[in-house]
Amino acid sequence: MTLSRRSLLAGTLAGAATTALAGCGSANTNPVAGQSTAIPEKPTTITWWCHRLTDRRNRDLAPLMIDAFERRHPTVKVRLLRSPSDTDTNRTTLTTQIASGSPTPDVYLGDVVWPGQFAHNSLALPLDQFVPKDYWKRYPAALIEACSGEGGVHAFPFFIDQSFLFYRRDLLDKHGLRVPRSWEELADSAARVRDSGDVASGFVWQGSVYEGLTVNFTEFLADAGGSVLGPDGSAVTVAGDAGERALTYLRDLVATGVSPSAVTTYIEQDSLDAFLNGSSLFLRNWAYAWAAANAEGAKTAGRVGVVPRPGFEGRDGAHSGLGGWSAFINPHTEKLGASLAFARFLAGDGGQEALLRESSYIPALSAALDSPLARRLNSPVIDNARKLELVPRPSSTPYYPKVSKALYTRANSAIGGSASVRASLSAMETEVRSALKGAVL
Amino acid sequence: MKAMNASPGTSRAVRRRRHPWFNLVNLGALILVVVTALPLYWMAAASFKSQEEIGANPPTLFPTNPTLDNYGDAFGTNSLGHYLLNSTVVALSSTAVVLGLALFAGYALARLPVRGSGTIMVGLLMISVFPAIAVVTPLYLVERSLGLLNSHLGLIIPYVAFHLPFAVWIMRNSLVGLPRGLEEAAEIDGASITRTLLSVVLPLARPGLFTAGVFTFTATWTEFLMAITLNSEDSARTVPVGIALFGSEYSIPYGAIFAGAMSATVPIAILVLVFRRSIISGLTSGAVKG
Amino acid sequence: MKTLESAPPEAPPNRAAAAGGKSRGGPGSARRQRARTGWAYTGPTLFVVGAVTIFPILFSVVLSFTSVRMTYDGFRIESFTTGNYAALLQSAEWREALLFTVFYTVVTVFAELVLGTLAALILERLGAGRGWIMALLLVPWSLITVVSAQLWGYIYDASYGLATWFFDAVLGHAPVILGTPSSAVGGMMIADIWKTTPFVAIIVLSGLVMLDRDVFEAAEIDGLGAWSTFWRVTLPQLRPVIGIAVLFRILQAFGIFDLPFVLTQGGPGTATQSLAILGYKTLFQNLNMGPGAAIATSTALLVLVCCLLFLRAFRSQVSEGELR
Repeated sequence: MTLSRRSLLAGTLAGAATTALAGCGSANTNPVAGQSTAIPEKPTTITWWCHRLTDRRNRDLAPLMIDAFERRHPTVKVRLLRSPSDTDTNRTTLTTQIASGSPTPDVYLGDVVWPGQFAHNSLALPLDQFVPKDYWKRYPAALIEACSGEGGVHAFPFFIDQSFLFYRRDLLDKHGLRVPRSWEELADSAARVRDSGDVASGFVWQGSVYEGLTVNFTEFLADAGGSVLGPDGSAVTVAGDAGERALTYLRDLVATGVSPSAVTTYIEQDSLDAFLNGSSLFLRNWAYAWAAANAEGAKTAGRVGVVPRPGFEGRDGAHSGLGGWSAFINPHTEKLGASLAFARFLAGDGGQEALLRESSYIPALSAALDSPLARRLNSPVIDNARKLELVPRPSSTPYYPKVSKALYTRANSAIGGSASVRASLSAMETEVRSALKGAVL
Repeated sequence: MKAMNASPGTSRAVRRRRHPWFNLVNLGALILVVVTALPLYWMAAASFKSQEEIGANPPTLFPTNPTLDNYGDAFGTNSLGHYLLNSTVVALSSTAVVLGLALFAGYALARLPVRGSGTIMVGLLMISVFPAIAVVTPLYLVERSLGLLNSHLGLIIPYVAFHLPFAVWIMRNSLVGLPRGLEEAAEIDGASITRTLLSVVLPLARPGLFTAGVFTFTATWTEFLMAITLNSEDSARTVPVGIALFGSEYSIPYGAIFAGAMSATVPIAILVLVFRRSIISGLTSGAVKG
Repeated sequence: MKTLESAPPEAPPNRAAAAGGKSRGGPGSARRQRARTGWAYTGPTLFVVGAVTIFPILFSVVLSFTSVRMTYDGFRIESFTTGNYAALLQSAEWREALLFTVFYTVVTVFAELVLGTLAALILERLGAGRGWIMALLLVPWSLITVVSAQLWGYIYDASYGLATWFFDAVLGHAPVILGTPSSAVGGMMIADIWKTTPFVAIIVLSGLVMLDRDVFEAAEIDGLGAWSTFWRVTLPQLRPVIGIAVLFRILQAFGIFDLPFVLTQGGPGTATQSLAILGYKTLFQNLNMGPGAAIATSTALLVLVCCLLFLRAFRSQVSEGELR
């Protein structure tokens, strides 16, 4: 028994060593070396992993995009793979699948905060080798920064999402107030209208313990002239004066009752509901709130205005959080040419025009926002899109989910009043630092 | 219950002991049946309801307009047929290999002088209940290096390894209870141990094999964590993974999910009903408990 | 050995007696021969189990001390570190997951044991239809957990679930069952109990039918009531069976993954995040292989310790089972 057990163990360890060596020895070379980047002349079918996107009539957008592409490139057929609707399940399924070496899907739509993590773990193909040097200049710089990870740009931008300040035009008019030009002015106006009893609260936004609070916080941080990380992406600068100004402002909104105390549990839908049912004067939300506020039967229809977010007094405003989805290429694709063609189509003139025509998403391509088609749409969201300064989240780190978690948990406790602003910021700084080293669960 | 204090006239006592229990037992059985069956019925009914009716409030007890659309959705858009095929291949192959190995190992542990068999039994028991999360990463990394991910074999190998211990445990316990006489006779007739096992023991070992087979098949048919990790690609998914990741334009496509669930459950349920005598006698024969 | 529905195969007439006293050669060599065959028979099993399970377990331990990174065609160990365990111990999320897993295990196993024993007692006394009822009980047990999770998710649905409708009708207001931590935990437990109690019931029943009838008659003669008979006669005899059932259930419940993965994704917040869910998210969502392996290894360690403690406590019963 002892002998056999020993030999069994020895055999196992030998196996372990061989496999471990095989693993350690794997060089991270270009996985698509030798494949043609040209659009294939023979009929080719690629797969596209995409969640449900809706067009203007609430139909599925993906088949419309595929049609537009196939008309242009008749040799390439695109088969749609439906990804799970939950973003986290979507990402997990995708990562296990691609990390397994599977060539399916060839192209996948991914969140704008994924590239850092995906690049680090070799889950997306670096793209700089396939496009001319100035290719990325046609997109907002902050968006390209978000699409970048170790080794350059890893995703073709498809559409972006931007945040705005929505306000009740009717109530501002009634009280003789103008659209606020600074956060301080917004707090004063909101307090006045609330005290009159016309609304229950002045300003609603997203303060729950989740990704959305990271977006809100980084926006106010940018308003105050700060950022989470220094320009080189490694120094943690969140706890400076700007951080203190931003977080103090948010905390005071709750402390003075300008924002309801429940705002610390609000996600997008909660804040939108509060605004739509008439209980709030101002709302910070993504562009889609415009359509919702003006939908048929909405209490707020026709009484709402939208402007870029203001700034703090004495500083520039118009910062907007950066959201959106981009097209990534699976590094294990066996159909590089066709995959590149499709992903470039989604990001290029043809795809962006189709997107603008069929849906309410904001095109990533700057030129598309200036097109005659864009002007004809007469949408304040599209009209304002170019004026915004996009604020990316610090997502180029491979450990972004943990960085974000440190930001939103600490910000939430400061806003709710359970911890001081100073203490929260310094805890934030410590936690972000260890998250950047990958030393957090 | 108080009747038990009465005089110990056997047949009378039995009758009197049973009588007060009668209603309570039947009531309990009724509750058991309703509680077990209601959710199952709810699933079956929903699989025949339209998407609108599934989302109806108040809920409808019977499908008002029974439809097979959900089944079409499950087998058409969601390629359930493919998942069923994968599951069947993986579960049947795993079960076959497990039973083959478990028969020999169980026999050795029950009858042959294997040193440290107690330790082996306890070790096997521990491995059979090891949380899958503890081994799934290394399995993933190793299978990736060997190119086994997203293949039937890539699931069969770990399934065999992780379900074999319990099957050995069952086989050993059911073989240990068999009378030795026949084996001894065969040996005296000069038959080798292997021949004795195959021609004499095997026919007697059927209940144990059946029980081990049922357990292994059920466990591999329903396994999720390894399946979603090792075989995540659509073409290699098993039924549990396929159903968990059903895509649709609704946030949770209950209709298609329950149609898929019915398609995966009804064949098993029919088998359970048909073989209920063998399964139950196998399960209650003591083989499971050790 | 008694069984419920069919008797075990009768032992055929003993041919050994008829064969008479044929000499067996050297008793020592025959024994060695049998021992060799024994190893030949167990060898493949031990090899398969060892190679596929023990190696990953050891590998997982190694990984938990490393910083790993995926590459295009595999993975690369970048450095060795104890930081993963430091991160684990500092993490409130891990402590919450541990607490939840332990709490969930204790409550569900206890409830399943009580209800399962009750169901077994009912089934034992039941006359007609027992086979059918037991077959029905086997259906939830053989149901794919993912499916039963979806089923309960549908029953609990906040706008059109059966349970929601029921509470609305009875209490006058509809709770969001999966929306608040306590009701989500409770709802998940009910789903688990529904699916697993039949398994416990059938194992306990297997113990019940094998009990020694004479003891019951003796108890009756002594004038013991049904309640005291159960506590003082039935239960002590059932201990080995219950011990094994509990061991299995504890270890299965401790690794719970499928149910929260589908029903709640660990939410709301982290209220139903088990150790396995946390490990999976760390491994495959955050692609943090080192800390993920640390979670996996520590979970495995807890299970082993649990198992050993249990075997110690139930040593007599288990070895009794072994020797039988």
